[in-house]
Amino acid sequence: MQSALGIKTLYNHRDLLLAWTVRTIKARYQQSVLGGLWAILQPVATATIFTIIFTVFIPIDTGSVPYILFVYSAMVAWTFFATSLVDMVESLIINMNLVSKIYFPREVLPIAALLARLLDFAIASLVLFLLMIYFQVPLFKANWVFLPAIIVVQLMLALGLGFFGAALNVFYRDVKHLVALGLQLWLYATPIIYPTTRVPERFHPFYFLNPMAGIIESYRDVLVRPEMTTLGTYTINGMQIPYLLPSAIIASVVLIAGYWFFKKAEFQFADVV
Amino acid sequence: MTYSIEFRNVSKRYRIGSNLSNLRDLLGARREAKNAKYHWAVKDVDFALKPGESLGIIGPNGAGKTTILKLLSRVTQPTDGHIKVNGRYSALIELGAGFHPDLTGRENVFLNGTILGMSRSEIKERYDQIVEFSGIAPFIDTPVKRYSSGMYARLGFAIAAHIDPEVLIVDEVLAVGDYAFQMKCYNRMDELRAKGTSLIFVSHNMEVVRRVCDRGMVMYRGQNVFQGAAAEAVVAYSDVLRQAARESKSVAPKEHGMSQRAMTFDAEVKNVTLLSEDRQPITVLESGTKAILAVDYQFNKDVQNPVFAFTIRTEDGRIIYDNTTQWMKIKTPDFYSGQHCRVEYTFDVALLEGSYELGVDIAAGDLSTYYDRLERALGFWVKSSGGAKGLANLDAKVTFKELASNGVAA
Repeated sequence: MQSALGIKTLYNHRDLLLAWTVRTIKARYQQSVLGGLWAILQPVATATIFTIIFTVFIPIDTGSVPYILFVYSAMVAWTFFATSLVDMVESLIINMNLVSKIYFPREVLPIAALLARLLDFAIASLVLFLLMIYFQVPLFKANWVFLPAIIVVQLMLALGLGFFGAALNVFYRDVKHLVALGLQLWLYATPIIYPTTRVPERFHPFYFLNPMAGIIESYRDVLVRPEMTTLGTYTINGMQIPYLLPSAIIASVVLIAGYWFFKKAEFQFADVV
Repeated sequence: MTYSIEFRNVSKRYRIGSNLSNLRDLLGARREAKNAKYHWAVKDVDFALKPGESLGIIGPNGAGKTTILKLLSRVTQPTDGHIKVNGRYSALIELGAGFHPDLTGRENVFLNGTILGMSRSEIKERYDQIVEFSGIAPFIDTPVKRYSSGMYARLGFAIAAHIDPEVLIVDEVLAVGDYAFQMKCYNRMDELRAKGTSLIFVSHNMEVVRRVCDRGMVMYRGQNVFQGAAAEAVVAYSDVLRQAARESKSVAPKEHGMSQRAMTFDAEVKNVTLLSEDRQPITVLESGTKAILAVDYQFNKDVQNPVFAFTIRTEDGRIIYDNTTQWMKIKTPDFYSGQHCRVEYTFDVALLEGSYELGVDIAAGDLSTYYDRLERALGFWVKSSGGAKGLANLDAKVTFKELASNGVAA
């Protein structure tokens, strides 16, 4: 009920959402020399260091895909996920002067934090396309129709976690540190720097309960694996399950629960000084 | 007729000390936490406003005024009671809240407008009006971090007053604007009220409350101690201030070298008025003229050689002038119980344009106790025709004199 009402209020404030997103982007790149280049620098730098480690020091077999393309295609999506989550968690705290003085739907702040990172995601994706052209990976395959679905699942997951994190961070500042640590570990639990073929098959049922694993694998299948023409699947007990399915289910549950929690806690935001 | 604001038996409790609550508290389980201390910021406050009505909320610091504003604007939720605000509202809780310092005035009009619930196209329609009203058109493309506090207030008020609010909530923000702009704001509030906007106005400045509101409400320690006509509320407020002073153990011991005793009310301040030189009651003083402060006292006991004093302060409490009959080396007569007496101080209005506050007191001849003391007896405005800025009107004159070529006066 409350959440349904919240969505209607949010719709009425869509212009605020847009204005706040633009404000966030402007504020981020104001007085920064490199500006939008930072959006590229982070995934490129991490992808480069992993490429050096896993092609020169400890060579890893990534099949038909050159390692740099393999890791960068995942790093773009992961960077978007990690930076947007951190921003969302901070979004209420850094605007406390506003939250404690004026009423507006508070979810505007975490949502705008997420949307503002979409621009970085788009910029970093441009570099991915340049890499794909360089390595002559076919562009615009039929399974690109799944791209919007993968992005939506990722947005839902990030938003749900962001709602939880942002609300909790108002009351417990530990959350911020916990999220930073969690993201660091989560990176290694996700097939970003290694292929899923290196994960023992008996672990797969649990491994793909990590929603980011399904999301990253799906991105890769669609974008950089020339032989894939549909969404990738894995097998449990002889059943073919698309990587994206468990991710989508978990992301939906996280989003609904996160929003519910956020709306429950929002009445106390202004009372915490 | 339906109400535009209903504020019914509302109470708000804050938890003091540790902010850490457990998850179950967060999710709204109404369970008293162990070892937690609570403070009622607002207790059982009840009022309602019809369209076009205005209510002034006055009270000393910490009386719950801001909490009421926050409750009205839905920033915080009541612990008890219920609040209904019908229609689009506009809160000006604090100066420039919702402005982003790095963005320009123009960008902030749009940002602030959307925060207040307007759509982009609605703001576009009103944009010219807003900028014109604010009077800061030449600076509209400057980042607001370079604005003065007066410019912040101008733009903030201009936005809030042009979204056609059905309820307008105005906090003390106007105090920083200049006299002409304040007048413009009061006129705009009158205009809006004529169109059916309900107004809630919070101020320390009694004259303004009397000017702007028809009803007044006095808050003291979270409770509504008076509600009625604005003029009566102003009187009730001075009683509250005295009550507050009586209850406080230390009454500014440093300034007069007095012991920390409460007031005894052996004598009471009954009335405080400012008069012009031709003895007309005024609240706006002309810089460079003379004014008369008249204070009426009533004596409840026999009192020997009391000390009379008055103080002029800026709005933020800095003392500009403080004097007593003792420092003036005036021997005051003895007074007997039941006697009334008027003390008049004639003084130079050597102040520049701005808003000031006046306090008066009466103390025992040996300065051992205050009989009565009103720290904020009266607020007044000084109007200045010159362009000088600051507090004191030193009335500087300028001359030019040519020097010999070696720099020595001829």
